Amino acid sequence: MVTIYLRRAYRSFALHILDIPSRLMALLLIVLFLAIPGILPANPLMSYLLSVLITASVMAIFASSWDLLVGRCGQISLGHSIFYGVGAYTTALLFRSYGLPSWVGILIGVLIAAAISLPIGFPALRVKGPYLALVTLALPLIATSIVFALKDITGGENGLPIPVEGRFFQLTNIHNLRIAEYYLTFLLLLVSAIIIHKIANSRTGIVFVSILDDEMASKACGINVTRYKLMAFAISATFAGLAGGVNVHLLLSASHGDFSLTLSFFAVIMAVLGGMGTIYGAIVGSYIIYFLDMYFLRMVVDVPDVWHVLIFIVPVVLLVIKWPRGIARFVTDELEDLSEERPLEERGKRIWKKYRRKKKSANEG
Amino acid sequence: MVEQLLILGVVASAVYALLSLGFTLSFGIARIVNMAHGSFFMLGAYFYFYYGARGFGKLDVFPSLILAAITVAIIGAVFYRLAIHSVMGDDVALIVVTIGGALVFQQAVTIIFGTGHVTINPLMEGAIHISNVAVTYSKILAITISLSLFACISIFISKTKMGRAMKALSQDREAAMLMGINTEALATLTVAIAGAMGAVAGTLIPASTSQMADPFMWTPPLTIAFAVVILGGLGSIKGTLVGALILGFSETAVGLYFPEGGFLKTAVALGVMVTVLLIRPRGLFGKRIELEE
Repeated sequence: MVTIYLRRAYRSFALHILDIPSRLMALLLIVLFLAIPGILPANPLMSYLLSVLITASVMAIFASSWDLLVGRCGQISLGHSIFYGVGAYTTALLFRSYGLPSWVGILIGVLIAAAISLPIGFPALRVKGPYLALVTLALPLIATSIVFALKDITGGENGLPIPVEGRFFQLTNIHNLRIAEYYLTFLLLLVSAIIIHKIANSRTGIVFVSILDDEMASKACGINVTRYKLMAFAISATFAGLAGGVNVHLLLSASHGDFSLTLSFFAVIMAVLGGMGTIYGAIVGSYIIYFLDMYFLRMVVDVPDVWHVLIFIVPVVLLVIKWPRGIARFVTDELEDLSEERPLEERGKRIWKKYRRKKKSANEG
Repeated sequence: MVEQLLILGVVASAVYALLSLGFTLSFGIARIVNMAHGSFFMLGAYFYFYYGARGFGKLDVFPSLILAAITVAIIGAVFYRLAIHSVMGDDVALIVVTIGGALVFQQAVTIIFGTGHVTINPLMEGAIHISNVAVTYSKILAITISLSLFACISIFISKTKMGRAMKALSQDREAAMLMGINTEALATLTVAIAGAMGAVAGTLIPASTSQMADPFMWTPPLTIAFAVVILGGLGSIKGTLVGALILGFSETAVGLYFPEGGFLKTAVALGVMVTVLLIRPRGLFGKRIELEE
């Protein structure tokens, strides 16, 4: 009895994951990233590398939320950091003033970020294309000046530091702390990415793409375009707020930098580098950029900080011009080309045997 | 108080108008949402500093201003041909490329001149008192230059043959092409003019106010240009002037009547913009442009 279920589970696993090269690669990458803390030796440099990867995971959540809104639904947002900042400030305020458990604070932050996406999204959706980009660009700037104006509540320039008890884990060994936070953020990223990916490929996601392709035609098909656009805004804001809230408990402070234009621009750059509209591209892009910027160029080759932006912006711009599909999508396309076309009923069964047979025949030939 | 509001408001509005004019031109005519327009502003300030105060035999104010404008115009044209040109028509790619360009300019300036401030020479020394408000000659000169340049550009667009060709380009690219207009050359010229406008604004504003420039000074003017242009309607020159007046006066009013809320200046200005957009999504003087095409 049990074996039947096991076999069935394996078959489904093989059909949906092992047999599709890009998914197999994603699985291998996930396993690799789960194994990283075990492979790395425990020294300060590696703790630093882990903290870079932690930041990359958080930013990957942020960038993929942007990708859902822009790459899938076509609502160009250049002020995505407003949701990030709202999530961060709410979390920090709740923790400082009421001492709520960190997860409750983050949850409320996420809810508030999602809630403000409606009053923001509703007017913003009256305008389209470049106009929308410019309007959304203004929002985090308004938020920044409010942060500076309400110094008593938001701390103004100094931001809102939270006490050390705000960490997710109360570990004294810094390396172990980083490992724990690394697993936490990585799993959070995995869960968020799977949810965003599922939404993007659900019926709702297909409606999003139809709005991206042709808004008038979608309207003509009886789709309530405003409702779906707001939905995209709200889902996107939810994950952006999550990234902001989690980051507060990692960095132990919220600052006006959480509303900065640079943050929004980086989300754009990361998502475009990986491949817009793919969701996983945003994740790949953010790992590449953070690894390059904060680890490789700083620790391995030690380039002065002023050169970093040049070193990764110039390739990104060239990539967008020459190769607009992005890195991640290019890799998956190549992988899909490697796999052979087989009818569905043959897929999933005995793939390894078949591979061996193919190899044998190749040897004989 | 009222005189102060009037004088300072006019000063702010005039330079905002000049600043936004370049952005209006590049959006209205060449259809480029140029996120790098703020860097033209920053580059203008730095080239003015470079020609005037540092290398090149310490040129006078006006030669260095003109040289700075020409240099930035060339940079703008090259940037258009090398980068923007290949991604035309794709909004997101355009935005990414121009943001990337802006960051590259910012870092290049940081590497050459360092992260700190540089001092920008004032246009002229001295000040005049108009009903107890001290107005520096620099400011008066800045207003004069901005308004005359603004007038020149509007006359150029509406009266000359090339200006009309630009108008044609803004209305229908394909039809303009069929009429024998070299659309690519014209678009390049437009970006170059926009760059020169941005550079002149970038010289006039710091030279008549704070007298400082730093590599990160490109974001505030960018947002102001956006707000002004959206307020007036993207691509409308008349709208730009009106938008600049609204924004300039509302910012000055907030700064004067609520001195402690100086941080709210931007919020109020952008709030005005968002409100206008809610009532009129096309801006005050915007034409209905089919953006999907």
